Amino acid sequence: MPRAVRGLLIECDPSIKSMILKYDEERHDYIVEDLDDENHLVIKESQLQNLKARLDQDLDEKIMQLEESESE
Amino acid sequence: MATAMSRPLEYLEGLPGTTFYKLYQQPSTALAIFRRMLPDLAKCFVMALLYLKDPLPTADLELWVNSDSKKLHILQTTITGENVRAYRVTDPFASSLRQALMGAEDSQSFGVFSQVPDENPVSIADLDEYARRQWEGVLGYMVGTSALGGPRDVNLSKGVKQLLQAGHLVEIRDRRVDITKDGFGFVLQDVSTQVWHILILYVESAEAIGMDSVEVLSFLFLLSSLELGQSYEKKHLSSGQLRTLTDLADFGIVYQETPEATRFYPTRLATTLTSDSSALSNPVTGSLTGPTGTSGGSGSGFIIIETNYRLYAYTSSPLQISLISLFTNLKYRFPNLVTGKITRQSVRRAIELGITADQIISYLLSHAHPQLRKHNAAHATSNTAGIPPSILPPTVTDQIRLWQLERDRLRATAGFLFKDFTTMAEYQAPCQYAAEIGVLVWKSDRKRMFFVTRHEQVAAFLRSRK
Repeated sequence: MPRAVRGLLIECDPSIKSMILKYDEERHDYIVEDLDDENHLVIKESQLQNLKARLDQDLDEKIMQLEESESE
Repeated sequence: MATAMSRPLEYLEGLPGTTFYKLYQQPSTALAIFRRMLPDLAKCFVMALLYLKDPLPTADLELWVNSDSKKLHILQTTITGENVRAYRVTDPFASSLRQALMGAEDSQSFGVFSQVPDENPVSIADLDEYARRQWEGVLGYMVGTSALGGPRDVNLSKGVKQLLQAGHLVEIRDRRVDITKDGFGFVLQDVSTQVWHILILYVESAEAIGMDSVEVLSFLFLLSSLELGQSYEKKHLSSGQLRTLTDLADFGIVYQETPEATRFYPTRLATTLTSDSSALSNPVTGSLTGPTGTSGGSGSGFIIIETNYRLYAYTSSPLQISLISLFTNLKYRFPNLVTGKITRQSVRRAIELGITADQIISYLLSHAHPQLRKHNAAHATSNTAGIPPSILPPTVTDQIRLWQLERDRLRATAGFLFKDFTTMAEYQAPCQYAAEIGVLVWKSDRKRMFFVTRHEQVAAFLRSRK
């Protein structure tokens, strides 16, 4: 019996997808359906802002930053 | 040029043919459209066809190449006596342009000079200063330069503020002026694009306040053909035109001593509207953006960017400083210079405000210092590779774009996932149906799932098949 589920289809890099999967492992509160290909998954609509903020924050920490030189 | 032209052109192309018929009655309009709106090739065609007695057969014209002029209702197709499809220049346009080119007596289409000299004549420098002050006042109102301690000597009329609001360039929240995303895009554009943007908003809103938009539009074209530094009689203008004149004075597009004065002066903002001079070498850009008081020569940008992301802006205008500070970490401010650095944080902050990387780059490009242009032009000629010379350091522009991309790591589409189909056949039909009605975003044949933006029709389709 086919079903329809409401959600947000997310299209992203595999690296971002794996981060989302990792967040979901904690409380299973993000993902509606993991679509089993490298760059798609369906998440809960209400979690988008939260997810974006969390990704931005983590990416900021993880991406190597050139130290902003203060010497002029 | 292309970007500066596209918006007025788009707007005009959307107008109905009858509007053009009325517009082209005026020689000044025909000339303005011809000078400013047509690409060079189209100008060639129009010139070639203008004095032909008979329409030119289509086959002959298509030998030259296809033309877009039909959209502006300049060319029309007719059938000649020998039943050949042919092009001709449409009538009010042709006669008006001929009149404009050859000059005709007692036409008021190009304005009427004041016969009596003004007792206190206004010089071109005064007009430039007036235009600059008013225009910066408008932009300053939008970005809120008062926070930077800028002079607030410009009083904007209610009409100006309403127009900015109607164009969704600013929003009023709790009596505070908040600039919108569109507004940010607007303030970073070059001046002639901005003026056109405002004028089109004005024409669009003209109907709402009981004015004839065709009359306003042809009056704008008239203004654009006037001569800088000359004063013009107001007594030949209609009441609608007088009203427009007063409104435009608020923007600094025309100058009149008082609304009751008998004469008016067009400023550089008006006279360069339909001229071919590019916005970059346009002196008004210089006088508007350059340090107050200096008369900007041609190509007077003021921003220097180095490959190490440092930015030096030779300006003391509070407006320009606050614009630059939207996407730069400013560090030092000197009487005629601010310096800072474009950083990942500063660009991301700008992007969060809704400014795009392309807007930042085009702003930097249109205000690049002549030294920067000269240096890179010289550099490009020594470099024989076929890469077009870039005025800004490519490392900086690329990095600004990359910083923007960093923000968009995922794309979200709201909708519905259909799943749990038991057989392949059961899955395929609705999936195909969804694709046909254009709601399908993603599908996986292997998992027998698909994602659609709207589910009502697909659900109805599933029910109907049971």
